Amino acid sequence: MASTPHIAVIGGGSTGVGIARDLAMRGLDVTLVEQGNLTHGTTGRMHGLLHSGGRYAVSDQASATECIEENRVLRDIASHCVEMTGGMFVKRPEDSEEYFQEKLQGCKECGIPADVVSGAEARQMEPHLAKDVEKAITVPDGAIDPFRLVVANAASAQEHGARIETHSKVTDLLVEDDEVVGLEVEHASGPGKRVHGTEGGTEEIRADYVVNATGAWAGRIGDMADLDIAVRPSKGVMTIMNIRQVDTVINRCRPKGDADIVVPHETTAILGTTDEEVEDPEDYPEEQWEVDLMIETLSELIPMLEEARTIRSFWGVRPLYEPPDVGSEDPTDITRDFFLLDHDERDDLPGMTSIVGGKFTTYRMMGEQISDHVCGKFGIDAECRTADEPLPGSEDFSVLRDYMDEFGLRSPIGRRSVERLGSRADEVLKTEGPNPTVCECEGVTRAEIQDAISQSGSDLNAVRIRTRASMGNCQGGICTHRMASELHGEYDEGIVREAWDELLQERWKGQRHALWGEQLSQAALNYALHATTQNRDNDPAGGDPVDFAAFDSGVDHTDDSGTADVAADGGKPDGD
Amino acid sequence: MSDAQPTDFDPVEPNTGEGFEPVEVFPESDDFDLRPGADSCYKCSVCDTNCPVAEVDDDFPGPKFQGPEQWRLKQTDDDYEIDDSVMSCSNCMRCDSACPSGVPLSQMHNTARGEYVEEQMDKLSVEYVRNRILSNYRLSASIASKVPRLANFAMNFGPARWVMEKTMGVTSERDFPEFAQQTFREWWAARGGADASRANAVESRERRGEPADADKKVAYFHGCYSNYNTPDVGKAMVHVFEHFGYEVVAPEQKCSGTPMFANGMLDDARRHAEVNVSSMSDLVDQGYDAIASCTSCSMALRQEYPELFDIDGIEKVASNTFEAIEYLRIHEDVKGEIESAEVSGELAQEFAYHAPCHARNQGLERQAVELFRDLDGVGVEDVGDSCSGISGTYGWKEEKYEKSMEIGDEMFEHMEHAEGETGMTECPTCAMQMEHGTGYEIRHPLELVEAAVVE
Ligand SMILES: Cc1cc2nc3c(=O)[nH]c(=O)nc-3n(C[C@H](O)[C@H](O)[C@H](O)COP(=O)(O)OP(=O)(O)OC[C@H]3O[C@@H](n4cnc5c(N)ncnc54)[C@H](O)[C@@H]3O)c2cc1C
Ligand code: SF4
Ligand code: SF4
Repeated sequence: MASTPHIAVIGGGSTGVGIARDLAMRGLDVTLVEQGNLTHGTTGRMHGLLHSGGRYAVSDQASATECIEENRVLRDIASHCVEMTGGMFVKRPEDSEEYFQEKLQGCKECGIPADVVSGAEARQMEPHLAKDVEKAITVPDGAIDPFRLVVANAASAQEHGARIETHSKVTDLLVEDDEVVGLEVEHASGPGKRVHGTEGGTEEIRADYVVNATGAWAGRIGDMADLDIAVRPSKGVMTIMNIRQVDTVINRCRPKGDADIVVPHETTAILGTTDEEVEDPEDYPEEQWEVDLMIETLSELIPMLEEARTIRSFWGVRPLYEPPDVGSEDPTDITRDFFLLDHDERDDLPGMTSIVGGKFTTYRMMGEQISDHVCGKFGIDAECRTADEPLPGSEDFSVLRDYMDEFGLRSPIGRRSVERLGSRADEVLKTEGPNPTVCECEGVTRAEIQDAISQSGSDLNAVRIRTRASMGNCQGGICTHRMASELHGEYDEGIVREAWDELLQERWKGQRHALWGEQLSQAALNYALHATTQNRDNDPAGGDPVDFAAFDSGVDHTDDSGTADVAADGGKPDGD
Repeated sequence: MSDAQPTDFDPVEPNTGEGFEPVEVFPESDDFDLRPGADSCYKCSVCDTNCPVAEVDDDFPGPKFQGPEQWRLKQTDDDYEIDDSVMSCSNCMRCDSACPSGVPLSQMHNTARGEYVEEQMDKLSVEYVRNRILSNYRLSASIASKVPRLANFAMNFGPARWVMEKTMGVTSERDFPEFAQQTFREWWAARGGADASRANAVESRERRGEPADADKKVAYFHGCYSNYNTPDVGKAMVHVFEHFGYEVVAPEQKCSGTPMFANGMLDDARRHAEVNVSSMSDLVDQGYDAIASCTSCSMALRQEYPELFDIDGIEKVASNTFEAIEYLRIHEDVKGEIESAEVSGELAQEFAYHAPCHARNQGLERQAVELFRDLDGVGVEDVGDSCSGISGTYGWKEEKYEKSMEIGDEMFEHMEHAEGETGMTECPTCAMQMEHGTGYEIRHPLELVEAAVVE
């Protein structure tokens, strides 16, 4: 081919960045646009389970087989995003023995390593399992950090020449001569890194091909060209515990049902989930009873959950799709498989393909298939390398080093930073100046925050997902203002305030469904702290820039005549 | 006589400690689960502002990091290391009482320190050997007290101290405590042991108009210090309790473990605790209460044992352990007797009283001041709520000496301000620090009770 085709990918979730990386590595020109942050959609609101495939081993063996294959690939290429916790399907006395056997058999059929352990053995591994758990099947489930994974994919795509635009919303598809030829995009803060308060603008991005990877929003993009893409969004709730009650993924071994899984994730454990169809992927009710029900049901497996502290709850929508002729009533019956909808074949509109359904664990495989498909369109015979080339951060490296000495960090803080940064640790943590801890709950230091700011601009939520800062038990009570201060120097006051506001809003939002017990005390303390020390309840500056020049510069200490009569605390300097 | 006591029972008979099931320090049970405790922390930092070490040591990250934060950060992996700063915590336990949310901070520190020493500390390092020697004070003391005069000379012999500081990191600034010529236990045995005490108690009861067979009996946990160094405190305890009609027994016992907790030597501490719990729980079953004259010993038996070890009878012992004056104030009208008494002679003094941190943790910081308020012939002034700074073995470490003295400054200053030139405290190591910083002689409240009520 004469010139390199330019592919526009819509959607900055796992699917979109997976595609962008794959195409870029095959040498194509790629532009990815995302309306919010990376992971703004479902990818940022999922459970974090690296499926072994065990969950689908009875009902959906095709998905199960894909899962175990990709599970192995991701352990390899994304080691700094994955924690191989192992998983179990546990059986309580009232759960069916027949199903237990089917599950075991199913795992074997799909090539998922599975062993039966007794209740006592299971409790030895996980002491907080209920005393009446009878037995369990062990499987290679793991935990995966969706934020880190998506950021690493985007970074890799960029290294291979892709353009990644966040806070850029596709407002229309450009259709000329009955062919999709590009996108109309509205930038919320101008192209490039996000800078709060910067004028946006509209841009026409012309492309040789468009890939619609907008998950639950795929129908909306379809509408822009009168295409009917019947995604059935289905919501699920997840609740984050303050600490890990278990170190292995605990699944309940029964056919299907709500609230049947606990995933240990970083410093926390995440309970999930439910499955309920909704109309609008952006506007659906979030109800307290869903959270209550989940804690109650999962306490049957892990009794201590009943009393344990939750730090927040959040909901996500699955981008489920089924071909129009199936017609499942219950969303849990809809396949977890993914589908390529070539709109040329399907709707006689060339120039675009949509990818719908699927799951996070198989994002790379989805990317590979659609990249093959796109390359096919242009007669390009380039090999897929995403299964072999590690993501940035997961190159050959070991976490077991002496961080204290190397980076001057306290050992658990250094260790956590290095686990998050992977092979980028040296590059990020070796800094000139002092490197204090900014977020104490998650052990995030200034160097990591600065690294994230250099990637994403003034967007503190983007800093959050890159570093985990403000995601620990105080939910930003102690660190949001410190994070905001880190923007100082490069960004002026108005921008910093706006970024800070946005982060605080986001942190409060998730706590609305956790306001009892300890987290209520935490919220009360945060409120008081922010109100009394930072004017967050009613800022007299009202968001307008403060005229710092109007303040006097204080006592001049170079003048040693000792005329100052007021000490810093308001008392007389010589009083006691 | 209570019939619960078998006639051939002699509590002085050594308990060999045989027949003990060794237990793991961290068994896979949820008894010691710190999860709920970690959930309780809401990061207010009150613990940090109350920590005397953090105040003077900028490299010490403070109890919030040391406890709940570190605990939560390292949960994800078994091979997470404990930050070495945990060795700078003096185990004063002030953070425990400061926390408004009931986070078991000292339990977290003790657990972390134990893990650090067990898994990360080089067992051949000078620091380890030094800490092990310091925390096994009982062993050194028992050897030294065989030859007290020689030991007193040798231990404070200049050139020897210089060598100790250079090779072991034991500060040469401090004088080693003197060993008594006769230990408390030697005195106790010579005096006739439990039988003599029973006879004395019966006599007192008659004098006091109580039934001769009143069920008043206590088991004395004297600890190492009153045994080897200040037997006068032990004798005062016996005299005072007998005066109030109690029969005293002095069961077989080892170190309470306090210095071992502070140095992360949990294996050593457990071995000693097993012996202590075994002899005390037998006695508790027979109706005895356990009484300590050292506030750190009572703290260990009451709080640290059940938080850290799973030993048969441990809860029972914990809930029947009391500090000596606390016990008397609960059961006897000791204040009444003191009000009508008068002290003359050696102890007719103005005392500068310091409440040990561990007394504070048990809610006992005001007892001496309240008790002696109306005692004629003496005055007691509280020198404030600061920490003395020595915290057992902490202030003996060469690298901690300066900080220890810096923490103590406030107390020294208040002692100087107080009237009189004699100090008073329940804790033997606080007493060393008080004496070291001011040159005052330091007495134990029991000695003053003895002077007031025992004729
Ligand atoms: C409750 C729940 C739990 C789950 N748990 C797991 C799990 O444990 N393991 C697992 O493997 N999978 C899990 N999944 C499934 C998995 O999360 C999703 O399949 C996957 O994240 C989908 O990624 P995506 O990129 O296709 O969609 P999304 O992440 O939703 O990405 C689509 C993106 O497109 C953007 N977009 C939409 N419209 C526009 C526009 N007009 N212009 C620009 N951008 C636009 C959106 O902002 C969004 O970021 C779970 C799903 C749910 C709902
Ligand atoms: S025990 Fe004392 S020294 Fe140790 S952290 Fe708590 S307050 Fe500080
Ligand atoms: S005082 Fe208690 S609640 Fe406050 S930070 Fe310390 S441990 Fe946490």
